[in-house]
Amino acid sequence: MKFFKNILKRFFQRVFKKRGNVKLGLYGPPNGGKTTLANRICQDWLGEDMGNVSNIAHETREIQIKEQITIKNNGNELSFNLVDTPGIATRIDYEEFIKSGMKEKAAKNRAKEATKGVIDSIKWLDDMDAVVVVLDATKDPYSQVNITIIGNLQARKIPVLLVANKMDLKKAKIKKVEAAFPQYDVIGISAKYGDHIDNFYKALFKLV
Amino acid sequence: MPHQCVRCNTFYDDGAIEILKGCKCGGKLFFYIKKNKLEKARKAAESVKLTAKEKEQIEDDVFELVGADKNRDEPVILDLESIRIKKPGQYELDLVHLFKGEPLIFKLAEGKYMIDLVESFKRLSSKGLKK
Repeated sequence: MKFFKNILKRFFQRVFKKRGNVKLGLYGPPNGGKTTLANRICQDWLGEDMGNVSNIAHETREIQIKEQITIKNNGNELSFNLVDTPGIATRIDYEEFIKSGMKEKAAKNRAKEATKGVIDSIKWLDDMDAVVVVLDATKDPYSQVNITIIGNLQARKIPVLLVANKMDLKKAKIKKVEAAFPQYDVIGISAKYGDHIDNFYKALFKLV
Repeated sequence: MPHQCVRCNTFYDDGAIEILKGCKCGGKLFFYIKKNKLEKARKAAESVKLTAKEKEQIEDDVFELVGADKNRDEPVILDLESIRIKKPGQYELDLVHLFKGEPLIFKLAEGKYMIDLVESFKRLSSKGLKK
């Protein structure tokens, strides 16, 4: 009986995945590397970039979607629509952007767009079939933003994979991320250089 | 429930004709203030000094944020829970409220909208409490 159930389950999963309707969202605080990871995925499987990246926070201020990405691992295929979202923050201050060299008017505009981006990211959450939360492993994981995002995903029963990004940096501490969210799988990667990206793809198969 | 004009800070009781037709100063954007927060809001309104230009900018930004048309005839009402605007370009977001998924803007009646945004003064007044 169990055997048949498994066959049926696999069959439906395959049909579902083939339709390419699975929405995989990249969520997290600003400057965690969501778009860098999105670009890495798109480069690896489509040979093109997804969006611009910047050292100044809130570079992605609109939801970006790349449809029908198919990744392969050990003969298995997984298709999904990748949704890159604006970083979620509790405070957006144009003065921070000015410190990074922006002009006042552009900085204020960026703050407004970033605020709208946060609202949009949150609005889209219910549409996601699975979410990868991208965290900067050099930063303290116990932030209000991280806890709120992960708590809300849990409440919505959306499957979550945590990525501890920027592992190429000396200050990165994956152990801290694992200790903060012990109930989740944490994959340490460097989206920028592609370190351990295979582990990430393997984990995606488990997630979706 | 009381409403406050974003432009000139005048408070109006619920049902006041100005809320439906626009403030006497010409403003068409109101903060909706819960009764239990009215005193706090009044005090905060007195302590916050924004220039007319800054207030206009906040009005423009809010209309753009929620995708409403500023040139509409009917006033827009803001509920003050999810977003605080301290001054143009400075935002504080209450993620817990935002994640609750309550709509930021919802229609109360024909031509009258309610938007879920938090007033600019909360942070200043909470600073005051800490002292």
